[in-house]
Formats: sequence, C-alpha cells, structure tokens
Amino acid sequence: MRLRITAIGWLLCSLALPASAHHGSSISYDTAKQWTTWAKVVQFNYMNPHPTMTFEREVEGGVVEPWVSELLTNPSMMARQGWTKKKSEQALAPGTRVKLTLSTSRAGGFSGIVLGIQAEDGSPVVGGARPADAPDLDGKPGGLQPEGEIVLPGQDAQ
Amino acid sequence: MKTTMNKMSNTIANTMLLLGTLVCVPLAAAQNASPTPAPGGIGISDTDTGAYNKRDFSGLWARSAELYGVEPCPECREPVGWPGYGFFGNVPARTPEGQRRMDLNKPARGLELGSAEANKRTDLDIGLRRAILPAFGNDPEMHCEPLGLARLITFAGPGAAMEMIQVDDRILQNFEWTWDFREIWMDGRVPPNVEDYLPRFNGYSAAQWEGDTLVVTSVGFDDRQWIDQHGYPISAEAVLEERWDRPSPNRLRVQLTLKDPLLYTAPWTASTKVWALIPKESMAIAGWSGILEDRCVPSDESSFNQVRDRAAGLGIDE
Repeated sequence: MRLRITAIGWLLCSLALPASAHHGSSISYDTAKQWTTWAKVVQFNYMNPHPTMTFEREVEGGVVEPWVSELLTNPSMMARQGWTKKKSEQALAPGTRVKLTLSTSRAGGFSGIVLGIQAEDGSPVVGGARPADAPDLDGKPGGLQPEGEIVLPGQDAQ
Repeated sequence: MKTTMNKMSNTIANTMLLLGTLVCVPLAAAQNASPTPAPGGIGISDTDTGAYNKRDFSGLWARSAELYGVEPCPECREPVGWPGYGFFGNVPARTPEGQRRMDLNKPARGLELGSAEANKRTDLDIGLRRAILPAFGNDPEMHCEPLGLARLITFAGPGAAMEMIQVDDRILQNFEWTWDFREIWMDGRVPPNVEDYLPRFNGYSAAQWEGDTLVVTSVGFDDRQWIDQHGYPISAEAVLEERWDRPSPNRLRVQLTLKDPLLYTAPWTASTKVWALIPKESMAIAGWSGILEDRCVPSDESSFNQVRDRAAGLGIDE
C-alpha cells in the first residue's frame, strides 16, 4: 500500500524537530529557523550516525564561506528511499552546485544542519525539502545567524 | 532579501512527509497532551483475522510501519505525551545512589534543559527534561558504546527494525541499529547467579511461557549502559522482566519491568512497546531483504562528532 500522509502533517511539525531525534540535533541547531541558499559541495561523507557535508557559499563581495554540516537524514533511511552510497556520492560530488535548506547551529558561525537538498534542475537529492516560508538567503553573509544572547544548554558544566 | 518559491516534486514531498511524520509525531504529542503512563493493555489496530501461531515470534518487526509501505501502526508509537522514545512508563524515584548515578549521565535527548517546554512539563520526570547539547553530554551511544538490552528494545528511531528468529530452544533477537543481538533461552534454564558470570551489556536471558505470553527474565547487566537515551542508570544487580506476546497476526508487544532496588525505589514498568510485522519483501533494498547492517562505526562517529562539536562552538580556530 502506498504511503499516504497529508502535507499538513509535515508542515505542522517541520519547524520543530524533536530533541530526541538524531543525536540531539535539534538542540545543537535552531531548527525552528530554516533558510535556503545555493552552495557548492566540497565533500560529502555518507556515514552513520548521519552524513556530513562541507560546502562553500559565495556571498556579497565575492567572499566564500566554508561551512560544515550534518544531514538530518541517515544512511538507513536514505538507502530505503533509494539513496544508496554510490548514488548519493555521485549526486553530491565535489563541486556540485545545490540548493540547501538548513538551520544554523545554536552557537552560530558557519555550521548548520542540512534539512533538504535540491539539484540545479530542482530534483530532490537524498530526500528532504524546505517549508514554504524558509527565506532564501543566497548571497547574504552568514546566512541566518543567531541573534541576542546565545544560550547553549550544558555549556556551564564544561 | 530575495525569496524564491521552489516547486517540490511528489517524490520529495513524500520523502519529507515520511521523515516529518516519523520524527515529529512524538514531539507533537509531547507538546499537546499529558503522558499516559504504563497502560496495562494497548489497543491493536491490526485488522488481520487470519490464523497464526501466537507462540511464534519469528519475523521482521518495526515500529515505523509506514516506512515499509504497510498499514500504519498507531499503537507502535509511544503513548501520547512522552518526548521522543524511551523506557518511559511510571518512572520511579531514585535511591540516593540511583540519583547520584543518574546525575553523572548527561543526555542530549528529551526536552531541552531550561527550555520553556521543559519547565512547563512538570508532569514528566526530570530525567526527561534535562537534554543538553550533545557536544556537552556523555551519551555512550555517541561514542558507539554498546546500547545495552533495554535501550536496544526501546529504541524506536525512524526506521529502526529488529528480527526475531525462533527455534526450538531459543530466540535470537537481532537489532538493526548498532547491529547487535541477544539470545533468549527457552530450554528450561533459569537466570544465572550474576556474580558467577561476566556482566554483559545485553545480560543473560531465560524464558518460559505463561499461556501465550513469553516471560523473559534477564540479569547480569554491565552497569555502564543507560536504560534509554535519557540517561537513566542500571545496576549490575538489576533484573529486567519482559512479557512478550503476539496479540494479532501482525503485531508483537512487550511489557518491560525493571527491578533495580539499588537505584530505584520501586519496580519500573515501561510504556508498552508494539511492533508491526513487516513482510520480507517490504523490508528490502534492490531485492535484498532483511534488516540493515546499521552499525555505529567508531571512526565515523568520531568524524561526525567533530561536526557536532563545531555546532557547539568547539574546535574552531578563530
């Protein structure tokens, strides 16, 4: 039986991923604030517990920002959706230009979690997408950075 | 600021809908309702009325039935109100030693420590409301340490599956995430004196039938493990009782009770866990069926943790 889930279900929860999922990712990243940008893949690593990817984005003035990221999805889910290691690595080969939906880390900087990837032709890569209201910050320095006092739970104990 | 509205394909929409459902349903539940502690029974949505052997647990089982294209299994999700997945149930108070050990464990799952949600949900035990950034935590899973039996059973992340292989004198239970397994002996043996044996992360399990319920008693745990992702401790003297049954052709259910008087002031009965039977052909990739070898590889985990640490502002030479 083909899966049928209403779009409302995803949209309602897409802005608040559970802290319990994915190695605590939603605590590390401000997943309530998502944004999009064009980027060039530097290196994609297909691995557990989550793939990682470094990428560059060119911003105003021709400055190139080097970002590090983890992907929300994971290899077992990717494989079950047809995104095998070989296919994923081919789709995200170094130098590939992609449109990313991501959230910046709570600490700020060039660190984020990739929630969705689209190829230049608009086709999805390794699953994921973006909510309709995610702002496109292509070319904006830093993308979407945290504002105000940065609170990182657990930092005090360090 | 330029805003672009890209059109999503059906494929990408389905992907996100599925991922969103699998990871978001528990949160939505947690935000909107109070927990339902440890039901004695749980509704079964399976409408299959075909004949089956209630004492045969063999098969591929998953708590995220939708991922495999079979009928949804609402009862496979945690009861409404719990954050994510875990042992849950009627969390007992800790003994002083239990509290001391629990305080040493720093989980990254659950409601965020100090958040408005965590402060509001006083109906939940504090253990479920103290999640910190994983970079500052010490979850053994994040270094690929063995999860331990209770955590293997209660793990229900997106896609997590298990296989039960039942033969005359035992059941082999294979877990997809971390590619771990345990054995349940049904040859009449009784649980060993734990002091005679090396502790195991998955303990020593002996079982007997009570009607059509398989009652499994496990002892001899390595006390470095956590009960679940929320950092609840377990002692080497703990006894874990599992009551497994197959209430319908396509459902497997377990009721877990932890008896660990060194750490907890009362027996701890978990929320009921239910799995859906997944046909072999539905749990397959390119025709190769079965659970995945979904290992936690230390070198990969270490590499991943560097990215994780960057997200906490660590490891940056600026």
